[in-house]
Amino acid sequence: MNIRNLVITAFRSLAKNKMRSALTSLGVIIGVASVIMMVGIGSSARIAVRDKVFTYGANAMSVTYRIKPFYEKDIEYLRRNVLQIKNITPVAARETVVVKYKNRMMRSRASGVNNEFFTIKEWPLQYGRYFTFLEIASYQKVVILGNTTRLELFGNTDPIGKIVLINNNPFMVIGSLSELGQALSGRDQDNVIILPYTTAAVKISGTRSFEEIIVATYSEKMINDTVTEIKEYFRREHAVPRNQPDDVKVSTSKEKLEMAEFISKTMSLLLAGIASISLIVGGIGIMNIMLVSVSERTREIGIRMAIGAKKNDILTQFLIEATTLSAGGGVVGILIGLLIYFAITAAVGWPFVFSFFSVFVSFLFSCAVGIFFGYYPAKKASSLKPIEALRYE
Amino acid sequence: MSNRVIDISNLVKTYQISEEVSVQALKGISLKVKHSEFVAIMGASGSGKSTFMNVLGLLDSPTSGRYVLDSIDVSGLNDNQKAEIRNYKIGFVFQGFNLLSRTTALENIELPMMYRGGVNAGEMRDKARGLLSLVGLAGREGHTPNRLSGGEQQRIAIARALINDPAIILADEPTGNLDTKNTIEVMNIFTRLNRELGITIILVTHEPDVADFTHRKVVFRDGEIIQDTPVRRGKTAGRKK
Repeated sequence: MNIRNLVITAFRSLAKNKMRSALTSLGVIIGVASVIMMVGIGSSARIAVRDKVFTYGANAMSVTYRIKPFYEKDIEYLRRNVLQIKNITPVAARETVVVKYKNRMMRSRASGVNNEFFTIKEWPLQYGRYFTFLEIASYQKVVILGNTTRLELFGNTDPIGKIVLINNNPFMVIGSLSELGQALSGRDQDNVIILPYTTAAVKISGTRSFEEIIVATYSEKMINDTVTEIKEYFRREHAVPRNQPDDVKVSTSKEKLEMAEFISKTMSLLLAGIASISLIVGGIGIMNIMLVSVSERTREIGIRMAIGAKKNDILTQFLIEATTLSAGGGVVGILIGLLIYFAITAAVGWPFVFSFFSVFVSFLFSCAVGIFFGYYPAKKASSLKPIEALRYE
Repeated sequence: MSNRVIDISNLVKTYQISEEVSVQALKGISLKVKHSEFVAIMGASGSGKSTFMNVLGLLDSPTSGRYVLDSIDVSGLNDNQKAEIRNYKIGFVFQGFNLLSRTTALENIELPMMYRGGVNAGEMRDKARGLLSLVGLAGREGHTPNRLSGGEQQRIAIARALINDPAIILADEPTGNLDTKNTIEVMNIFTRLNRELGITIILVTHEPDVADFTHRKVVFRDGEIIQDTPVRRGKTAGRKK
């Protein structure tokens, strides 16, 4: 019998038991739908995380020290001598401070920086202005508020020109930043106050040193060279002996991104793994029903054999039936999975990522499930003896 | 080509029940059936006639002996070759009709041709329709077996047996489940097929009335043929038109 006729025969058999066929496929439908959903949500989460990481600036890196702090001369040296550096800012007084305005008081995280900080962080102002050269040079007590700080202290009133107390020192508000949202760690990035680094060092920390330097290069390719040059400079400058480790630690956005990618990739693999278990359970469901079907249809198999069906014809027919159930379930599952995934991304506001690869693999996998779990029942059907099958009641 | 459709010599079938006990169901049967013959095989139950039919239909293998069907020695064929011979050379009609349930009359008739392959759907459909009207059931194409009477189901089964132009039709108690009226109807179809189309028919029955439709009576007892005689013309003459 040619394959076309076998396909027709198998389809007719399935059509005779529409309800049973649909229920048998249900396991695979649920399995494939959950795989598609989980993989999709995984990649959406990855993109959402990636966007968050990139708010630090794609080419940015942060330099922190172990023993000896940073000074103005370090900034000047790096700016002049490391040609890959596009922007550089010190970060002084990186600590929690008490901010008061009239009867309102809150804790906020201070950072003393220069104007390049806003460029590196890609963090625009919402109201007011940046620091002037004079304000930085003459230790002026001015402050730019983060969005949360502004809302807490001023509500919807205009903060510009008002005086707030920071650790009991009066500072004038000159600007306020746009909303940045939560960091990956869940910390509110908008609960901050930004000061000139000069003022912050002297008035808040009481030193002339800085705790961190943030650097941005012109392009991502320059990151590695820049890291090397910065490390070499500080080894010399901090006089680190040859057998000692670096005194500074440089962490790049790229590293954070890779870390975040790794975590979310592992998560989505895990989710897909759990989902594929349900796909295998679906396959076992198919085997179960096919086995029942073989014993129920023993007489039919006997009739087919008596009128000339070969063992292989019976085997192929049952395999086609099982594979049709699983592949059909796969297609329906893919559609349902995509639909639910789309609904979820629409609800949460994540990007919808259509992965042809995962659709293709799910489809292939569901076909494979049918062939794998359909083979044993099909083999059982084809090894019946025609005379015994015909007598079967 | 030989004139003989079936040439069987010394056919033995032994069932091994346990290591010591074996039952000889067929004890060296020899039988020759010529082209266009209409043969009734008779005998009480346990006489070996059903075993003989199963061997004739290549559903069961003999323990020893030679079986030539339509000039082909089928004694030593493997399962696939036997399936092919059953498909091409033999048309089966069973006591219990053995139609596929929830399958239309036309699809049931086409079934052997589906397994033959190499026939296009249109040709197959035309031939099945032709056979349906040959057995007097034109217009019932789309009916499933549960909507047909026993007699009608058996006529569908006969049409199915004919679709691959077999060398012989083997009918195992084809009227066993039918009332008298339907028995006569079915036997008239067999008679017509034999007389008008020259189809060789071998029919197992234990009803003498049914055997009277045939031309030759072979009687089995205890695994042996005890009688092989032509049916007297006079008896069937009355039923001729």
